[in-house]
Amino acid sequence: MSDFLAYLTSAPSRPHGSANITDKCYDHQLRDLIAYLKQPGVAPSTADINGYLEAISPAVHSLSYLYLLRIRIQQLQEKTAVGVPNDLQPGGTLWNQTVKFLRSFDPIQIRYVGHEWRELVDSVANAALSVSKPILAVKMIRDALERLNTAGVFTSLHLMLVKLALLSSSYTYVLPVLDKLLCHFPSDTQNAHAGILLCSEHEPSTVFFTDSSGFSANLTYRDHLQFYMYSGMVYMALKKWDQASHCLGIVISAPTANSVSKIMVEAYKKWVLANLLGHGKLFSVPNLVAPHVTRVYQSLSKPYISLAEAFEKRDFQRLRTEISLGQTIWRADKNSGLVYQVFEAYDKFLIIKLGKTFSALTMPDVLQRASSCSKGSRDIEEFVVSLVMTKELRAKLSHSPGNETTTMLRFPLSSQSHALREEHIRFRLIQKEAALNTISRAITQTKITLETSHENLQVIAKNQKLAGSSERSGVVGSTEADGGGDLDEDLMGDGR
Amino acid sequence: MDLPPLSLDQLSAVITAGPTPTDLYTSLSAYEEQACLLSATDPSEKDLLLEFYTAFFFSHLLTDQICEARALTRRIPREISRLDAMQTCSLLLRAVWQSKHTEIYKILRELPWPGRSQPLVQRYESYFQEKTLVEMSNSYETIRIAAAATYLGLDPAAVEGDIIEKFTACGWKWDSEKQLLHPKPVVTAPPKDDSLQNELSRVMALISNQGS
Repeated sequence: MSDFLAYLTSAPSRPHGSANITDKCYDHQLRDLIAYLKQPGVAPSTADINGYLEAISPAVHSLSYLYLLRIRIQQLQEKTAVGVPNDLQPGGTLWNQTVKFLRSFDPIQIRYVGHEWRELVDSVANAALSVSKPILAVKMIRDALERLNTAGVFTSLHLMLVKLALLSSSYTYVLPVLDKLLCHFPSDTQNAHAGILLCSEHEPSTVFFTDSSGFSANLTYRDHLQFYMYSGMVYMALKKWDQASHCLGIVISAPTANSVSKIMVEAYKKWVLANLLGHGKLFSVPNLVAPHVTRVYQSLSKPYISLAEAFEKRDFQRLRTEISLGQTIWRADKNSGLVYQVFEAYDKFLIIKLGKTFSALTMPDVLQRASSCSKGSRDIEEFVVSLVMTKELRAKLSHSPGNETTTMLRFPLSSQSHALREEHIRFRLIQKEAALNTISRAITQTKITLETSHENLQVIAKNQKLAGSSERSGVVGSTEADGGGDLDEDLMGDGR
Repeated sequence: MDLPPLSLDQLSAVITAGPTPTDLYTSLSAYEEQACLLSATDPSEKDLLLEFYTAFFFSHLLTDQICEARALTRRIPREISRLDAMQTCSLLLRAVWQSKHTEIYKILRELPWPGRSQPLVQRYESYFQEKTLVEMSNSYETIRIAAAATYLGLDPAAVEGDIIEKFTACGWKWDSEKQLLHPKPVVTAPPKDDSLQNELSRVMALISNQGS
């Protein structure tokens, strides 16, 4: 047992004992450990596994801990012949050990066992679903993804996470993952950077997430669309209309060959509603969408287009009729909740629009001008006041002096006080300065990477001149002409 | 670090420790998983669940997460959501969503709340009053004293001088001739938002990687 334990603890994580080992040596250690653990017949008995799981730390010996957890799960699955044994169900011993592992594993060690790591995450999701409590998996998978840091690489786990969030109605928990830009798919192994050690801490994380690293199941076109569709739904549940519109916009702008998929049409319907609710109007589809695709969307979403037209024309009667007529459609499309919110949004944008025509109105005037508003005279003041107080309507309110009970609504050019305006300008200046600094740093880095910095270009020009003069003087193959001079070496030292 | 097990005493300790609203939300959200593993039909655990979900609900309101609070009411076990206190939470949520100030104060002050949640109920009332005061200050140029008092849940029949004093202490001015209060706008810095920086960094890194 002590020999086996010695093997299990032979490669601690970098901060816990392997900090001074070279990348190459650490890589060897980890690969040796994996080879040892994968040997047939090396698996310990059930009782021993529990002992080892108690003895080693999931944060320090993540690779070994993961291996033991998997062996234990397999043993239980074979013994009980069920996919989710009792011990793995939420609250069970194995569940607790898995939770501990996923919240503390060392992301460097896990790069070597992506497939096994993902299988464990899948087991957690299945276990939570088996007891109809998907929320138990949501935070754990989110934390695991954050810990792993996929650095903008889209994986099948992202899709799983957003599905679980929708199933469990726990939307805010997944925002840390959804708010991050995803701009890569797992890279092709063929094109992966050769010679890069998986334990290297200085390479961009994207290098480690390849199609054979195991961190993601095979991804399809549909997975990508589903992820953004579901992300849009999460944002809509939180009434973050701009983000929802962005995600749904990605789905409707996806490239198509001949046909438009159903999910794209569903996304278009939700995109129309998200824009109505967020901006009170129907936007043109993004430029990326081909005209024939737009025509398909419009022909398959006619009730939604009619609804949006009635909304934009501020035709309340028609809007009410459209909503009433389309009830079975909204229900079938699972958009009833969104369509119901259209009434409230209609009133809001009707009042906001008054500010484009008038500079001040009394509340009775507001009611008269917004006669199509669904609110009655009693509720209109309360509604307008709530719009102003929540800053949805840029206006000011003032009560009249004396015994009059009139409230005046003013639409000033700027609803902000001088001090408030200055504070906002100051804040925006700070924000712009930080943005410019970020861009500037990135440009410098890019120049170094592309070798187009001013110093590099000077050296190249100098080398070319020297090469020209050497050739003219009959000297070929000088050191400087090959770019091997001291200056060149010094300048290029950090650029690689 | 392992969390101490969820219990009534532990819950009281978290609530009475007086953390910031964000810390309170973070602490209680960490306990949601433990709460999910308790049985809503077991009488000994039912009380704990009721107290936990009531406190968690208030932590959402204190951090202005109204939509997520609505989502929370959907994931509370049915046996708990049927209880009077949770029904009161739903009433309060609707009143907050509809900005019905009078109703909000009435629900907070007059309806029964579980014992351990009382500090949070009072804390939310103070928070809501402060938030409303800022909103009034930035929305109204002039406001009648009765209206201002109603927004803050003060008794309009109370001594006028006391109400005026409360507002003038916040920098508002009282025009006795016109019988109107002149609010003083509250300048607050917009919340810090790192998303632009993060996105820019990612986009620039992407350009750099693609170019190399």
